[in-house]
Amino acid sequence: MRAVEHTHTGTHAADGAHGTDRADTDGTAGETPEAGARRALPRSWPLLLVGAAVLPGAVLVLVGRSLDEPAVQAWRTVCLAVTVQALPFLLLGTALSGAINAFVPASVFNRLLPKRAAFAVPVAGAAGVVLPGCECASVPVANSLIGRGVPPAAAFAFLLSAPAVNPVVLTATAIAFPGSPEMVLARLVASLVTAAVMGWLWLWRGREEWLKPAARHTGHRPGQSRWTEFRRGFQHDFLHAGGFLVVGAMAAATFNVAVPRSVVDTFADSVWLSVLFLAVLAIVLAVCSEADAFVAASLTGFSPTARLTFMVVGPMVDLKLIALQAGTFGRAFAVRFSSATAVVAVACSVIVGGVLL
Amino acid sequence: MRRFVQVGLLVLSGLGLLRTSLFTEAYLRYVKEGMRPLLIASGVLLILLGAAEAWSAWRSAGRPQEDGDGHGHAGVPRVAWLLFLPALSLLFYAPPALGAYTASREAPKAVAVVDEDGFDPLPATSPLPITLTDFTQRVQQDEARSIEGRTVRMTGFVTPADGGGGWYLTRIMLSCCAADAQSVKVRVYGVDAPKADTWVTVTGTWHAQGTLGTSSAAVALDGRTVGRIERPVNGYTDALPLGS
Repeated sequence: MRAVEHTHTGTHAADGAHGTDRADTDGTAGETPEAGARRALPRSWPLLLVGAAVLPGAVLVLVGRSLDEPAVQAWRTVCLAVTVQALPFLLLGTALSGAINAFVPASVFNRLLPKRAAFAVPVAGAAGVVLPGCECASVPVANSLIGRGVPPAAAFAFLLSAPAVNPVVLTATAIAFPGSPEMVLARLVASLVTAAVMGWLWLWRGREEWLKPAARHTGHRPGQSRWTEFRRGFQHDFLHAGGFLVVGAMAAATFNVAVPRSVVDTFADSVWLSVLFLAVLAIVLAVCSEADAFVAASLTGFSPTARLTFMVVGPMVDLKLIALQAGTFGRAFAVRFSSATAVVAVACSVIVGGVLL
Repeated sequence: MRRFVQVGLLVLSGLGLLRTSLFTEAYLRYVKEGMRPLLIASGVLLILLGAAEAWSAWRSAGRPQEDGDGHGHAGVPRVAWLLFLPALSLLFYAPPALGAYTASREAPKAVAVVDEDGFDPLPATSPLPITLTDFTQRVQQDEARSIEGRTVRMTGFVTPADGGGGWYLTRIMLSCCAADAQSVKVRVYGVDAPKADTWVTVTGTWHAQGTLGTSSAAVALDGRTVGRIERPVNGYTDALPLGS
């Protein structure tokens, strides 16, 4: 990892150096002495040379030393844990999306979904029950659904509900809250309602141009082998989403290590603050939806409604998901969609929690 | 992104997953035991994908790129390079399991409440092997006070305490992956603290402070002996001490 991090920063440094070359203002581009030498040597070239010789070594030593700090080690462990935990589900999701793209004709979805998009939204939300996995799987699948002619609003309802209402997650919730089946019901209802509301909200206010134009997912084309299409779509989606997964995992690990759990408990006393706080916590912790019930169950100081909020918001909005959505649908979409979803999800959980819990 | 880079990414990620889950047990530092079959399957699948991509690239090497790259799949964004980080990290520089650093920053996990008559009589063996969770429940919830006067034996790792004397015998537990780690701690008095993160087995009796059987009782131990042990393979469980 040390070596890779170094090459990675290296490419960034090189990018920056190109910029300064063009701007030709300052001589801080000490990493690329040969680029300067091609034109004229700057007067301070011995200094630059020394800098070029010393800097990378110093950086390497500092980075190497800090990698063994307990905080950095914990960060790397958490980061890797999130990635390792999510990879199988991401593979499942991208394989499914590749398969939908290559093998399922668009007419199937037209037949299965109601013609009116407003009706298609709740149907698609309820269909989320069939995707057993966590939230990483749902983003590529929703993307390929849009590519196959499913109305975006319906695809988004599916995207939001699938990670929260599938049997695996509901079973985990029942196990985590023994003796309170109303928690499972509340989670199911609040997640479905949030998904449907977001779908309708998209119909009402959504704009196509927020979505990144999807060049791929054109479906099966005559003359191409379906298997090759499947393999290439699968591979492309996996590499693409995998990169964003790593971004999300890094962000989640940063918060995980930077914010100790003991801070969490200071918010438990106030009713409203605790709901908001657990919603924010769900977003920054990015716990997988199959596990968040156990985390919620362990937050014993908080009210049931606040814990419900944690479980409804978590699978729909979190750092890892925002990164995945930004990569798949574009940043303009991810920012608007995630913030709207967070608000709707909190409102729905408070209402459903107030009625059921 | 060039095709051979994609092949490299897929194969290295696959090898990394296989190394961590099939050839070693390092995956237990990050996720739970049940993930193993999924991780192995994912590793194999990634290697197969990489091999298929390499095969297709090799076959089409002579010809102009007419299959695939013409229809929009060439555009794997640069962010995919980041996948090299976990892949190489798993292969060559795997970070250790969470330990004293994480445990010291978290309040101990709240243990489950046991029903009123949920406590079975303790076995007569002495010292009595017990998990940290069981010990906490016995001390704070068992109104029969059956733990009183008993010598117990517990295993965990060392977390330094920040003042007040003593140190913490600690276990970290996961519900899913290391991102949701929670710890149980028992404070140990009377014996010197070994180095942080050392795995030890401690024997001792309840440190009388507060009222036993209520939540005012201190989850603490007057230690008699401390013995170093090897880190257990699956460290993220609250298991009984091995041996007797």
